[in-house]
This record gives sequence, structure tokens and C-alpha cells, in this order.
Amino acid sequence: MQQFLFRRLLLLVPTLIGMSLIVFLMVRLLPGDIVDIFTAGDTTITDEQRHQIKEQLGLTGPLHVQYWDWLSSAVQGDFGTSYRNTTPVSETLVDAIPITLELVFLGLLIAVVIGVPLGVVSAVRRDKGSDYVSRVAGLIGVSIPSFWLATLLLLFTSRAFGWVPQFSYVSPLDDPVENLKQFIMPAFAISVFTMAIVMRMVRATMLEVLNLDYIRTARAKGVPRRKVVFKHGLRNALIPVVTIVGFEVGVLMSGAAIVEIIFGLPGVGWNLLQAIFNRDYPLVQATAVLLATTFVVFNLLVDVIYSRLDPRITLE
Amino acid sequence: MSDDLIDEELVEYESKRTGLTRQQLLARGVGLAAGAAAAGPAAALAAGEAAVKPKRGGRLTWALEQDPVHIAPFGGILTSNHWGKEFMYDSLLEWDANLNVRGALAASWKVIDNKTVDFTLKRGVRFHNGKEVTAADCKYSFDLQASPPPPGSVAVLGQFPAIDRTEVRSKYVIRIHLKKPDATLFGYLAWSRYSPIVPQGMYNQLNPAREGIGTGPFRLVRYTPNDSVEYVRNPNFWRKGLPYLDALTLKVLPDEQTRIAALRAGAIDGATLSPDAARQFNGQRGFRVLKNYTAAFRELQFTLKIGEENKPWHDLRVRKAVNHALNRQEMINKVYGGNGAYSGHVPPGYGPWPLTQAELRNKYEKFDLPLARRLMQQAGRQRGFEVTMTTFSTPADFAALASVMREQLKRINIDLNIEAQEPGTFAARNGTGSFEWDLTARGMRGDVNGYTAEFNPSNGIYNRWYPAYRNVSMWRRVGALQVTLDHQKRLGIAKALQRQLLDEVLIQVPLIAVQKFQVVRSRVRNMYVAFSDFNTGIRNVWVD
Repeated sequence: MQQFLFRRLLLLVPTLIGMSLIVFLMVRLLPGDIVDIFTAGDTTITDEQRHQIKEQLGLTGPLHVQYWDWLSSAVQGDFGTSYRNTTPVSETLVDAIPITLELVFLGLLIAVVIGVPLGVVSAVRRDKGSDYVSRVAGLIGVSIPSFWLATLLLLFTSRAFGWVPQFSYVSPLDDPVENLKQFIMPAFAISVFTMAIVMRMVRATMLEVLNLDYIRTARAKGVPRRKVVFKHGLRNALIPVVTIVGFEVGVLMSGAAIVEIIFGLPGVGWNLLQAIFNRDYPLVQATAVLLATTFVVFNLLVDVIYSRLDPRITLE
Repeated sequence: MSDDLIDEELVEYESKRTGLTRQQLLARGVGLAAGAAAAGPAAALAAGEAAVKPKRGGRLTWALEQDPVHIAPFGGILTSNHWGKEFMYDSLLEWDANLNVRGALAASWKVIDNKTVDFTLKRGVRFHNGKEVTAADCKYSFDLQASPPPPGSVAVLGQFPAIDRTEVRSKYVIRIHLKKPDATLFGYLAWSRYSPIVPQGMYNQLNPAREGIGTGPFRLVRYTPNDSVEYVRNPNFWRKGLPYLDALTLKVLPDEQTRIAALRAGAIDGATLSPDAARQFNGQRGFRVLKNYTAAFRELQFTLKIGEENKPWHDLRVRKAVNHALNRQEMINKVYGGNGAYSGHVPPGYGPWPLTQAELRNKYEKFDLPLARRLMQQAGRQRGFEVTMTTFSTPADFAALASVMREQLKRINIDLNIEAQEPGTFAARNGTGSFEWDLTARGMRGDVNGYTAEFNPSNGIYNRWYPAYRNVSMWRRVGALQVTLDHQKRLGIAKALQRQLLDEVLIQVPLIAVQKFQVVRSRVRNMYVAFSDFNTGIRNVWVD
């Protein structure tokens, strides 16, 4: 296990370097840079002034030199400063990460807490009314864009109840109740897709598992139905759910951007989107590294948890 | 008077409150909507609101469409930067709501010669930290304007007038020495976007990106990036009696639907919305829809490059044909729901500088399809040609406008291929002149010269857009506009230049001026939509 972990963590290094290089080049392939954004519509700026700004921002010079400068600082924890506001990028991300982590965590929690039981019910009551309802709900869930649902929820509560959540981030340490009120709607909005996938995955796996010999044996031995389903069946059916949840952490961290914007939560996704539109290279690069790290680390965690849940799986 | 210029909700409200009839109220100027040409927006609204006594106290929460990014006083590039800081800083001069220049921190000014201006400060004006404003503070501020430290950017120096240096003449008199005659100085100062006055040494005392000390009606409490800017009332504001509010919060809500939901729920008191979104609040109890023209008029731009003289639009007759084939009223009706006006190179509402609507509609921008066809024939282009026009992919009205233009230009056999580009891409290609035609927008300028600077051949952008175009008399007028200090003479030059640009130049075809919509809850009084695209009206607002 230790060797496995060591190898995977070691692989993280070239993965991140390769990914950062790709992002570095891709974002510079986009037409325009931040100077173009800054000076858009300004017909009075001179070429000398443009060059001066580019020099100030480190945008002149060969690309490999720019990349090396960035990389050598990044390994020391200095991801540079935002071109837009000169705030250190690490400071921006330190503020953004807790917001996104909480949103993603709550979203996944809702997805699992609702999705798993729905999947179980659907499998156990196969081809009954509740199964059909669950399956249709699942189909709707994978079809609804989270940002559309987020907007709908907001407009509905504002119209029907004259209420919207607070749009200024409230830390759970300061006011957990207000924090929960603020996060419940956006978390629900981003949870629906994952919820639907979890539900469908649990249903499919449960159906498979419930047909296996050992389940039949347990029933034949008179084990109560509830125990058969939850202790013997569900445990095996949950293994793929672990994979989904682990994968979705990375997806949601960046994919929740629009929901973050709608609910006024300046998380990682929000910052990444703004950075891309504004060609704020340091912020784009640092956020990309962060998201890639998250993906890799959580996938590693999933593998480890997998091996714990299923003794047949060994880590090599 | 056109019904478009009457704020019916205000009239109804005032009628119920005062018992006066609609006719009586209109006769007093009550209910004249922002944009009423005769009185101007603030005068119109003030006339209406004058019937209501201001109330002191209360808090206002206003939504911003973008984060200010920082609130440093100098070198802020984004308009949103000024949204975040405009309530805590003042400049030597300011605009009133009709863009007339008047003194702010300056009590008076005197033009000594064509390169020297003295500004005399109001006495007893204090910064938020209690220190009195002196000429030394002005000198410090001007030095930073000329070389904005981070997080400001030198990108703004294109707007900076030809100031050579400033000189402290006495405690309350600051002298500005210009490198050359430059009439843009006064507009630059009145715009105040780049010219706040701060206490000497401020940049060594605090982090200007997140903190500030000014003389404005509100004192900064806190700026939380991507979240809000919070202010409290400045009890020592130099304009006695103001502000009325106790506190002001600017909340960052980039998503329009979120702003709508927040308005309905009462979480905010006002916000800027698109015309379609604002329309849903028309006639709704508890809300008022305000509107006014802004400086961001839409414009069609050509490139005239050396080596491409065979391109059809190098011929003035083709450009004129395009100008007269475009039906601006149809654009206003189809894309903007009837809310718009014809625009010259200086947009309507920009003080005394623009040409009149009558001149534009009936002569320079007259829709005349037969004339357009004749011109195309004279140019030997009656069969038309194909051309690619780039525009912004967002906001959505650009694509809609481009579609209407395509249909209109088909009538003179011009086949328009529309390429909608992401704003960053558009900015890059526009800046390098990598386009044939583009549909773009202009923005606010501190001085009228800002709308004609791109026609100056010494300007880098001219050589990227129009290197093949020569017109010495136009160039002379552009130069004269910059250096003529006498206001009346300058006005004459500006009008003559605009006529020339529309008649014999037409390397840009101005289209229409659009309106900006802001929706406020009924408790918000005395608000108006500022032409400058700032939220200046909030300075004088009170709440019920």
C-alpha cells in the first residue's frame, strides 16, 4: 500500500507539470491578452504604453522563459499576482477554496443522502410505480442544467416567498444557521445531476447484486429482508458510488462556477471563469493546478477506499 | 411631448399623494422621465422630487454587475473600479447630471495662459480622516495620476491630459502647467474617474486596493472582493445637507436573474438591468423603472488599409450608401423596443456637443434606400459584395443588431457575414485592426476630444485602422479641437468636425444611442440614471 501511494504521489509531479504547461500554452493561444482587455475601446493608448504594461506584467520575452519563471516560483508556493488587482493569487484561492469545498461537500452529501435510498427503493421495487417515478426523476435530473435550476429556484423563492438567501458569504464558523440557509439552494442545484447518476448507478448495481447466489443463500437461510438488502446487498452496490463521488469532487469544483455566480459565492469556479475571460494568466494557471491536484488526489483516495471496501481488490 | 419621456408611475404616485391632476403635474415638470431633452434628467427628476421633502437616514443596498476588482483611486481601468470608489472620492471639478462642468473641491479656476491654469480650493473641506484638503494634497494626487502605482495601471494614461507638472502656489491654490494647450483638462477633472484627490502620503499609510481616504459623501467601511463595498455617511461632507443616507452597500451580483430575484425579495434596493428585464417591472407596484441615454452608442467601423484599396468600402460613395441604407429607427424598434436615439460621433446626451436629432435623422443619417442604390451604382457596385463583420457575442443586443443590419444591407446587395466573438478575442482583433468591418460600441469619455482622437493620424490606432485614408482638413479640425480652450469656439469646431465626419469621411458610421435601465424599489427617491455609466445619482438619494 505504501509503495502504491508513494508511486501515485510521485506521478502527481509530472502530471501537474505537464498539465500546467498545457494550460500555460492554451490560455496564451486565446486571442488577446489582458492588455487588450484593459485597453479595449481606448483609442488613445500608444504602442509604447501597451509595451510598457506588458513589460510590467511580464508578458514580454520568450514563452519558455515566462513559463520557467512561473514554474520556479510556483514550486516555492508563489503563484504570482493577479493581473487585474495585483492581489497574490494564493490569497484569492485561500478565500475561494472554503466556499467551493463547502458547496461541493454539501452538494455531494445531498446527492448521496437522497440518491442512494432512491436507488435502493427503485431496485427493490423494480417495475413498480415507485421505480418508474424514480427512473423518470433520474432522467430529469441528468437533463437539467444546474445553472438553470439554480436560477429557477432563486426566482421561485423570490416570487413565492419574497425571500432569497444572503448573497454575502457567511462562514459556518461565524453563523452556521445563516451559512446553511445560504448554501442549501446552490448545493441542491449542483447536487441534482450527481443525485440522478448515483440513483441510477445504485439501482443498476443493486439489481445485479440482488440476483447473485450469496443473496439467494441469505434469503434461503431466513435472513430478514432488510438485512439482506442493506447489509449484504447495498454494501456491494455502494462501491461504484464511491467512484462517482470521488470523480464528481473534481468536476463540481470547476463546474459549479455558474451556480457560484448566480448565488454570489466567489468560489474557485467563479474566479477561474473571470480569470479566463480577462486573460488573467497567473490566476488561470494556479486554479488549473489546484483543480488538477484535486482530481488526482481524490482519485487516489477513491482507489484506496475501494481497496478497503472490496477485499478482492489489491493495490499494485 | 412624447409619451416616452413621461415617467407614468411617478406621475401616478405624485397624483395620489398630492391630489394634483396629471396635467398639473406635467406642467410643473413632475414625471418628466430621464432623457427629457429640454430639462435634462436630473433637472426633470429634481423637478418631480422637489415636490417631496428629502428624508434623512436609512440604508441603501445597490447591486453592481461586476466586482470593482480594487478601489484604488488612480489607474483603475475598469468602469467597475469607479463604481466601487466613486462615493468616497471627489475631484477638483465634477459634472452635474447634464454634464455641465462645475467646481467640486475647487471653488474656482482661472486660465492664466493657454498652458497654465490655477485652481483655488474650497476652504475647510476635510478628508474622512479629518485633515483639511490643501494644494499639497492636490499635487500629491496629480503626481500619482501621472504615474499610477499598482494596482493601478499606466493603461489609463491615454486619458491623462498633457500635464507637465503641478505647482503649489499657496495653501489653497494649485497651478497646473501643461506641456501644450490641452482643452481636455477640464473634462478629465470633471469625469473624476482618474482624478480623485487624496491626502498626501495616503499610499504609504494603507492598502489603496482595499482601503481609501477621500472627501466623498460616504466613508469606506470595508471592501470585500467579489462581495461588497460598504460605506457609511460622511457627516462632514463639503456639500452641506448631503448625503441623506446613513449607509450604502454596493453588492456584487453579476448574474441578472439574481439581481431580479434580489430586487423582488427586497434584498437590494436597485440595480441595472437589461431593457427586457427592466420591462417586466413596468407598472409593478413597489418598483420604478428609470432610464437614460448612455455614452455607449453602437457604431459600424471600417478598416481602410494600404494595399486593400480595391475593397469596395474604400470608396466614399459605398460608405455613404451603407450609411443611408441602414434604417436606424428600425434598429431601435426591433432590437431596443423603441428605446433609442440616432447617434453621431458624439452621442446624444453628452452635454452641448452632439449634433441634434433633427440633423441626424433628416440629413446625415437619413434612411434613403433610393439614394443608397444610386450611390452604389455610381461606385460601380450595384451588384454588391460580400464582407465579414465582427461583433461581440455578448451582450446579446450586438448579435441582434448585426442581424437587422444584415437584412437591411441585403437591399443594396451587400452580403454581410456576421462573426460574433468573445469579448477578449474581439478586443484583441479590434486593437490590431484585424477585421474588415466591425460592429462595436464606444464608451464614456472625459472630454469630447475622446470621441475624435482616433481620427488623429498621430494616434497609433489610426495607423492600424485607417492607414490608407488621408484628409488633411479633418486632421486639422481634430487637432484644433484638442488645443482650443475657448468653449464657444471649441463647440463650433466640434460640430463642424462631426458634420465633416458624417458627410465626407464616414470611416466610422455611428448608429444608435441606447438607453440604460435601472430599476429601484419605490422607497428610493431622487435617483437618476447617469449618462456617464456610473451610479452618480446615488449621491443625492434618500429612502422613505
